[in-house]
Amino acid sequence: MPITSIKGEFVNLRPLLVSDAELTYNWRHAARAKFLNQGAASVEQQASWIASRPASEFNFVIELKSGLAVGMVSLTGIDAINQHGESGRFLIGDEDAVKGAPVAVEAMKLIYELAFDQLGLIRICGTVAAENHLMIKWQKYLGMKEEGRLRNHLYLNGQFQDAIFLGLLVDEYRKVTLPRMNFLIATGRAKN
Amino acid sequence: MLTIDAVHTIIFQALKNVNDERGPDEQLDIGPTTILFGADAVLDSLSLVSVIVDVEAAVSESSGRDVVLTDDRAMSQEVSPFSDVSSLTAYILLLLSEPA
Repeated sequence: MPITSIKGEFVNLRPLLVSDAELTYNWRHAARAKFLNQGAASVEQQASWIASRPASEFNFVIELKSGLAVGMVSLTGIDAINQHGESGRFLIGDEDAVKGAPVAVEAMKLIYELAFDQLGLIRICGTVAAENHLMIKWQKYLGMKEEGRLRNHLYLNGQFQDAIFLGLLVDEYRKVTLPRMNFLIATGRAKN
Repeated sequence: MLTIDAVHTIIFQALKNVNDERGPDEQLDIGPTTILFGADAVLDSLSLVSVIVDVEAAVSESSGRDVVLTDDRAMSQEVSPFSDVSSLTAYILLLLSEPA
């Protein structure tokens, strides 16, 4: 399936481009990215990494409806036989631009719609650094189940730490995740 | 029945938990008028979920009854319960004033 833009109410997802190398390099080296794997060592390496992404991956830049790029998210590891995939590379790079708006939750909702509704996957999984407490709490609230703990799986900021393995089945997505995502999106829509 | 001060304490603690995950330059100013979500808010949706989860758990434990902050009723309020700390406090007290 060719990668295309996906439109939401608060955000759009558009394909990650080589021309995003400097922007995403800066995001990856900001303090907020401390829980992601170490990124490219230079803008040029970041550009090479983007250019080398296989067609089987869906790598997106999260844009506000104004067109401002605020983050990135991916759907990778798609296994058409076993019908599962991995969500990840999830980073809000411009925190100030997303305050008060359901940007992260709608971006993930669009990824889940791609995975479950368009690609027909029955399971999404991924790992989160054990010390990334906000993300773990967020993912669990949105229906992901903790399926395991990978000891010393990540080397971040000069030390090893565990990774939490999380998974979400399509039935759980429809029963738990989607209503909660819709609630959060509606909260962003509500007038104060 | 929890008092307004007790509910404030719970919400403030939930916001402190968010601050614990932030850097020194990213600390939230916490008080009764802190705007949570919507225009001019201080929280992104990751932090909002953290506050919801922590407040639901703490209010449920303190009151001895299950309190759900994220349902259709919350969305039907004229003013969003997640507008600011005062709105969330008022909504929690409303829920607790009703029969379990």
